[in-house]
Amino acid sequence: MNTTLNRLPVPTWNRLGVNFAPAAAALPAVPDGGWGAAQVAESPLPAGVCAAAPDFADFSASGVGADADAWVRQNANFVRHIAVNEAVSAPLLYETTLDAAHPAAVEYLTVDAAAHTRLTVVQVLRGDAENGAAAQLTRIRAGQGAVVTLVQVQLLGSRVRRWNAVAAETAQGGKVEQVRLELGGALTVCGTRAFLHSRHAAYELTAAYYGSGKQLLDFNDVSVHTAKDTVCEMHTAGVLTDEADKILRGTVDFQRGAVNGIGHESEDVLLFDPRVRNRTAPLILCREERVEGQHAASVGRLDEAKLYYLRSRGLSAAQARRLMVDARFAPAIEKLPGEALRQEVRHFVAERLDAYEPLDR
Amino acid sequence: MRAYETEKTNVAAVDRSIYDIKDAANAAFEVGSGLTPEIVAQISAEKHDPAWMRDFRLQSLQIYDRTPVQNWGPDISGLDMRNIVTYVRPNTAMQGKWSDVPADIKNTFERLGIPQAERSGLAGVGAQYDSEVVYHNVRAEVAAQGVVYTDMESALQGEYAELVRTHFMKLVPPTDHKFAALHGAVWSGGSFVYVPAGVHVEIPLQSYFRLNAPGAGQFEHTLIIVEKDAYLHFIEGCSAPKYNVANLHAGCVEIYVGENARVRYSTIENWSKNMYNLNTKRAKVAAGGTIEWVSGSFGSHTSCLYPMSILQGEGARMEFTGITFAGAGQELDTGAKVVHAAPHTTSHISTKSLARDGGISNFRSSVVVLPNAEGSKSSVSCESLMLDDRSRSDTIPEMDIRCDKVDVGHEAKIGRISEDAVLYLMSRGISEEDARALIVGGFAEPIAKELPLEYAVEMNNLIHLEMKGSIG
Repeated sequence: MNTTLNRLPVPTWNRLGVNFAPAAAALPAVPDGGWGAAQVAESPLPAGVCAAAPDFADFSASGVGADADAWVRQNANFVRHIAVNEAVSAPLLYETTLDAAHPAAVEYLTVDAAAHTRLTVVQVLRGDAENGAAAQLTRIRAGQGAVVTLVQVQLLGSRVRRWNAVAAETAQGGKVEQVRLELGGALTVCGTRAFLHSRHAAYELTAAYYGSGKQLLDFNDVSVHTAKDTVCEMHTAGVLTDEADKILRGTVDFQRGAVNGIGHESEDVLLFDPRVRNRTAPLILCREERVEGQHAASVGRLDEAKLYYLRSRGLSAAQARRLMVDARFAPAIEKLPGEALRQEVRHFVAERLDAYEPLDR
Repeated sequence: MRAYETEKTNVAAVDRSIYDIKDAANAAFEVGSGLTPEIVAQISAEKHDPAWMRDFRLQSLQIYDRTPVQNWGPDISGLDMRNIVTYVRPNTAMQGKWSDVPADIKNTFERLGIPQAERSGLAGVGAQYDSEVVYHNVRAEVAAQGVVYTDMESALQGEYAELVRTHFMKLVPPTDHKFAALHGAVWSGGSFVYVPAGVHVEIPLQSYFRLNAPGAGQFEHTLIIVEKDAYLHFIEGCSAPKYNVANLHAGCVEIYVGENARVRYSTIENWSKNMYNLNTKRAKVAAGGTIEWVSGSFGSHTSCLYPMSILQGEGARMEFTGITFAGAGQELDTGAKVVHAAPHTTSHISTKSLARDGGISNFRSSVVVLPNAEGSKSSVSCESLMLDDRSRSDTIPEMDIRCDKVDVGHEAKIGRISEDAVLYLMSRGISEEDARALIVGGFAEPIAKELPLEYAVEMNNLIHLEMKGSIG
């Protein structure tokens, strides 16, 4: 049994099955002949960004866990270490494509942003391959007053399994902003751990997921607050169809010293099918008196009144579904850089929705 | 059905010191400490169990032996079963007249206000002292309606023996967890309640559990069967004096709520702070039925308490209203569980948690909606208040939704006492300590108003006692 991936920071009843990712989420075995080369198109490093020797020896574990982090580092077939030395406006783009000749991408990326710098990193995954595997470990160190935005768009086909581990450490006044859209794949395992160890450090997650078929989605996002005036905002919207099975763990961890810490998290899930399974475990851990922590979750079907209104305006059931999904995903999609990428995402979601055949009942 | 407010009874306020008065040890019989097949057989023989119950106890012990201690929740490594005496029989038989109860035990319950409460507003009272029920009485007019309220041992031997056999530990099987297995092996005492179809027990029944013996365990079993269209309010109270050795409470409550019946189960738990309170409560609710849990947790060294409701019939409902207040040396891990197993079922969980002086107050919940529970609704709301930076409060909810036509909502908040509010009250001449107690009282008020009056008074007193010395 796999007990190390996406561990819930504080365990609860075992029979609920949320204390760690299920066995099906285990990392893949190394194929005969090794991983081969990853197919990654990358934009040239802009002025103010350079390749650098990694200095992440004692870095925090990701939300997926230290074992997965070590696995990606050992197996990586695409490695980049970059240093950011000034505010950069153009996004740094990594586009990974899986196909029959390149069925695996195991990517290790570190971003070391110096004080008062700014950078947006965009990772896009596309394509499909038999027994495809896409695993990423992204480590971000945001220096004093630095802002690093990590945009992750996963548009993989239904034969690819995917692991997405992110670890962030944020210095005084620094901020890591993550936009994560997990819209395809056969298996999705994601875990971000943000370590807010200095005053006014911030972490923001805007996430969306789409689960269909027999897809398994497993998330573990953790914001650890150890310093004064730290802030996190973690908001996720999801859609589940067919027999999709999803677990989302979201934890705000106020440790001693996190005076005046603020942590908000929410999840809004739309269920389209009676066969889906949706599990949510939103935790607030608190060892500090003066904090403000909140979480909210809403799980359910399309609002009947809204659906009736849309149908009365001549929309088909499929069109109404698409409108509702677009509205839920809009906060994440609007944060994507470039209209072309936004359109590509909308089109990908629309195709998946069009392919969905509601259970006749 | 009557408005709840009219169910409140009037009993004078209590003082914490009454809980800590110890009676001299005067047991008629007790087994040796630890847990062996011989001890379980000895308990069974002492209690004149029927053969099926003796076998059930021994099978439960086997389950206990092979079941690991839970790997989640509070640390219970300080509980060493080798030191726990699982059966202590007080020096009296069960009495139906208060005057027949021995003086020392009678005085204890008099101090706790039990007979006064019975006289002033209860339909029946049961009092358990250590491992056995020492007093049980039900008003004649309630008994005349066919309501049965007796101790479990009498029910097991009498005309309700078959009813007990077909319901006992069917909702909470010994395989449920290690301490359910322990309960199955060494249970003793508790109450059996049967309310026939259509009968409304207009005033509450109350059982009070008192553990006097140091190093002992209390394992009472409460079995409540409320038939179709009937109504019952059952109140449970528990306390013990404080000792320097660990005591254990691993009771079990099983409630069967019939079609369109309603049961309210209220508890104020005020065990002493050397107590491991590992209690299990569960209700199964038939179509249109309602279970309401009202729970206040103040005592114990360590508590694991999560009343569970299985909404088995269409339109069944559950409400859980709870407050937990953890102080120095306490880890109180409380909450609720619900399984929606039928269409159009409804659950609402509302809790408040407080932690101060290094105490740990955790909220833990589970909402499971099964595939056939179309049209079900669930809402969970939990609020936590941290009163200093040495304490801890974790919120650990979980939802498992396997049906699309549902509405499930969850919200949680954690925060602190508003300094502005404290300053405002102080500017009106209220001391800082009283101002904080007032604010905490306000925080707890939505829960207090769900309690019977005497328990609300007791809870407010406990909050004020817990808040004493909270400044500086």
